[in-house]
Amino acid sequence: MNEYDDKWEERINALLDGELEADDAELLKAEATDDRELARAIVDAYQLQQAMDALRVEQAPASLTKKLQAIPRQHRSKPGFSLFNFAQPRWAAALAAIPLVVIAVSLMRPDTPSAAEIAQARQEMAIAFAYLDKAGVITGREIESTVGRTMANAVTDSVNRTIQSQSLNFKENEA
Amino acid sequence: MKHAWINKVVIGVFCTLLAVPAMAQEDELKDLPGYVNFGDLSATYGEPKITINLGGTMLNFVGMMSKSESPETSEMISKLKGIRVQIYGLDENIDAARSQFSQVKGDLKSSGWEPIVQVNEDDEQVLVYMKAEGGNMEGMTVMVVDNEEAVFVNIIGQLNPEELGRVMDSFDVDVDVDLD
Repeated sequence: MNEYDDKWEERINALLDGELEADDAELLKAEATDDRELARAIVDAYQLQQAMDALRVEQAPASLTKKLQAIPRQHRSKPGFSLFNFAQPRWAAALAAIPLVVIAVSLMRPDTPSAAEIAQARQEMAIAFAYLDKAGVITGREIESTVGRTMANAVTDSVNRTIQSQSLNFKENEA
Repeated sequence: MKHAWINKVVIGVFCTLLAVPAMAQEDELKDLPGYVNFGDLSATYGEPKITINLGGTMLNFVGMMSKSESPETSEMISKLKGIRVQIYGLDENIDAARSQFSQVKGDLKSSGWEPIVQVNEDDEQVLVYMKAEGGNMEGMTVMVVDNEEAVFVNIIGQLNPEELGRVMDSFDVDVDVDLD
């Protein structure tokens, strides 16, 4: 177990036991929102504590409980994983946390929009383009009323060329 | 309550996870050079009657869905990075909209946007601005203010006006835009 894990363990236990100061608890919450591993460690510890509460026949001293809670973490990185270890309460708690992790991971994946959402986006895009078209009609009408149809066409063509010359020569570039 | 904190932590984690995609999309658009901040007219006119924010991810999906029907439309959409529209219905007081119009116009000029077309009538104002960097079009902004509504459109990415006219038919959706 490294120093980082020790620090987590101590703070999480204090949090679950209601012994953490309010400021420290807020800080831990903030860290948990940014650190998924920490959040999962908290959930694991909570699940473990619940499991222990359910199994408890006689209350063990708090110091002994903390030491017992620390044992699975100490052995986590050690080789020699066995079916027996898998049956320990810590692993049972971790298994119980799997659905929570699955939900969290699925929430973090990029959203794939539904067909209805894509159709809605298509409609919104058409609205945006219709307003662009409206602006084009208004400006074209204004130019036409000011300088006449022939000149209006010339101005419109000029505007289009100006826009295209800036960036829309991609067709030539692609060719 | 002994475990009240853990409940709050779990809820906090989930709320953060839910908020991340929306915030990321908005931040993605704000960082693009073709993005324009139109400000907020809701204090004067209430919430916009139309608000559209399409980011690059959604546009990619729309482009993919359009590919089989109209490759030209798909090609055009593939060059877009974002589409934003805000439309406010105006009451008899159009001063706030005109003031916002001028404010955005000033911001555009100071941030390297080029005016393309401008119409200044008593009852109608239209501005079309474009931004280009290094020979590439980064965005287009169209603002229309008349006696009935204020329209702010921001296209982020490349858009060819000639292509726009051609692909409009392929959308096959009913869009009712008042042309006076």
